[in-house]
Amino acid sequence: MKRWIACALLAVALAGCGHAGGGKKTVVFWQFWPSDTINPLIERFRAENPDLDVQVEQLTWQAGQEKIAAAVASGKVPDLVELGSTWFPAFAHQRALVDWTDSSAVLRDSLHLWDMASEDGRVYGLPWLGGTRALFYNKTLFARAGIDSSKGPETWPELLEDCKRINALGKGVNGYGANSGERYVLFKKFMPYGWSNGGTILSPDMKSVTFDSPQNVAALKFYLSLADVGRVDHQALIDQAFKQGNIGCVLTGAWLLKQIPADAPDLRYGVCMVPAPPGGKHLSFAGGEILSTFQKSANPSGAWRLARFLTRAANASVIAQDQKSVQPAAVIASDDAYYAAHPGEKLFLDQLGSSVAPPNHPEWGRMEAAIETAVEQAMYRKITPEQAITQAARELQAALNSPQAASPAATSPRAKG
Amino acid sequence: MRREGNLGLAGWVFLSPWLISFLVFGLYPIVASFVLSFREYSPLAPQASRFIGLANYAEALHDGTFWHALGNTLSFTFGTLPFTTAIALALAVCLDKAFPGRTIFRAGFFLPTVVSVVVLSIVFKALYSPEGPLSGVLQGLGVTPPRWLLDPHTALPSIMAMDVWAASGYYMVIFLAGLKSIPAELYESAALDGAGAWRRFVGITLPMLRPTFLFVLVVNTIRSLQIFTEVFVMTRGGPLDSTLTVVYYLYDQAFYRFRLGYASAVAYLLFAVTLAISLLQVRWLKLAGAKE
Repeated sequence: MKRWIACALLAVALAGCGHAGGGKKTVVFWQFWPSDTINPLIERFRAENPDLDVQVEQLTWQAGQEKIAAAVASGKVPDLVELGSTWFPAFAHQRALVDWTDSSAVLRDSLHLWDMASEDGRVYGLPWLGGTRALFYNKTLFARAGIDSSKGPETWPELLEDCKRINALGKGVNGYGANSGERYVLFKKFMPYGWSNGGTILSPDMKSVTFDSPQNVAALKFYLSLADVGRVDHQALIDQAFKQGNIGCVLTGAWLLKQIPADAPDLRYGVCMVPAPPGGKHLSFAGGEILSTFQKSANPSGAWRLARFLTRAANASVIAQDQKSVQPAAVIASDDAYYAAHPGEKLFLDQLGSSVAPPNHPEWGRMEAAIETAVEQAMYRKITPEQAITQAARELQAALNSPQAASPAATSPRAKG
Repeated sequence: MRREGNLGLAGWVFLSPWLISFLVFGLYPIVASFVLSFREYSPLAPQASRFIGLANYAEALHDGTFWHALGNTLSFTFGTLPFTTAIALALAVCLDKAFPGRTIFRAGFFLPTVVSVVVLSIVFKALYSPEGPLSGVLQGLGVTPPRWLLDPHTALPSIMAMDVWAASGYYMVIFLAGLKSIPAELYESAALDGAGAWRRFVGITLPMLRPTFLFVLVVNTIRSLQIFTEVFVMTRGGPLDSTLTVVYYLYDQAFYRFRLGYASAVAYLLFAVTLAISLLQVRWLKLAGAKE
């Protein structure tokens, strides 16, 4: 008797693992935004599309890529996925994503950042949100150091001089916040100076390495001079020190626009474009979020409809305005009332327009790590700036030559969606 | 009458929760990753996977970064092992005797074990920050604080210090259990023979604890060689790869570079190192026991 009770209990437990189906067609959507932000949009989508239901799953930036890769390997993929731009090339290169080149042609003029969602001239997703870095400066410290605090530094000499004077204030105050000690961050803080100075990483066709240039060496020397009059630390701690009023200038993301009013409401600060070298430009790093669907997705047409809905200017703006760390990839009218009333966010929108996305190369992760390692070694005075740039270029060349960079196996046809 | 060992259906049913989870989440990944270690395999293109023999192993053995990560991992393991073991033993001996408030102390020292490593790591990251209390205290004493997690020379020792603090309580409990198994008569007769506290500790406690030592050493070594979470949360292998450990390296290869075959080979190389060290420890402690 006991045996039968045990079996019955097990059967009930196993039955509980089953999945109830039926009803509307479901779009499974994996994304990174908090439910408070994304759910109202999903509700609106459901109302507009009564034949579709959406099942939203929230991923974390720490484990998201792991989970998506595991899903692709197992074949149990979501219908629509939000991919970070640095992850995108590896997925696109392996032809794991559906080719949206033809279907997205009608959206060409209504969205920016297409490079981020393309590989080899084909489009594998819709650009949804963009993120960039701009210079935050502490107006109180500027005033204390006798600098005009009504505007931020516009050129390299101005930035360095301002940071020097603020650093001289002492008592735990630093001129600049320079990144170190963690991966996948320093690159985004150094390369804006390289790009602004005319430096590049790869040739446009991504066939050769162009990183070893006097422009990048000069940019690295400039970055090191900033680090000398600043504090070298992890991103979160630099942001924290800026909010505490202990750092003069820091190149960081728009997330501070949301954090400062909550954490340091009394902080007097300004935001400006990345300072330009003499005769150079104000270029920053461009990253972003791309909406893609997989070859093995169960509902690619539903995914396409949801992606189109989410990338509309009004809908992407909901996330941008709520989170502030990103800007819509959709073209925003220059007289948009919201941005007119929010100059900090407008500045980031403008900076995104003057930003460079890293090359969409399948070996990009290795390349980014190579540049970071070399720059960090120069920061710790292990090698000279010239050696650092040459060393990184050598590693970039090795990444270009590696088998992983070769064309993917032509076993998977390009599906149209 | 049912023979011993014959479980019957109900037995299997009651074993099934563990058995199924072991087969699915234990044995299957172990076997699958062994197979993968001989293949080139990207989770993004499983269809393009191919057998490449020992190429992954050869690549790892020729890869300077792998050796660097292994060096860091061994430094971490053998740098923490003596401290964790000694502190755990000292705590266990101190907290073995009855005194008021003993339970509070025991619970206090054990507490870090029940707190998530992620939480501990975040707390220690704040503790080690230039504005953190640790640097504040040193500055108050007129000492220039080190840059902790930001200096390639102090980053790994900083994580090691946290690990010793967090792990000692757990091994303390194991030593406490070991102490309980030592018959009280041994101490009584030694005391009658005039042996002092130190003599009793060296002559009775340490030899009688040998099986516990073996367990603590082997388990702690295996756990230390697998260090990952602390590095992931606190430094991501930086600065300048000074905290890059083997498991963090294989994680990076598997999930940022999508090289699951290569990462599996690295995992099996770590397994070989772990097995070798554990066997040496068992042999060494048994030899030490045989000599007495």
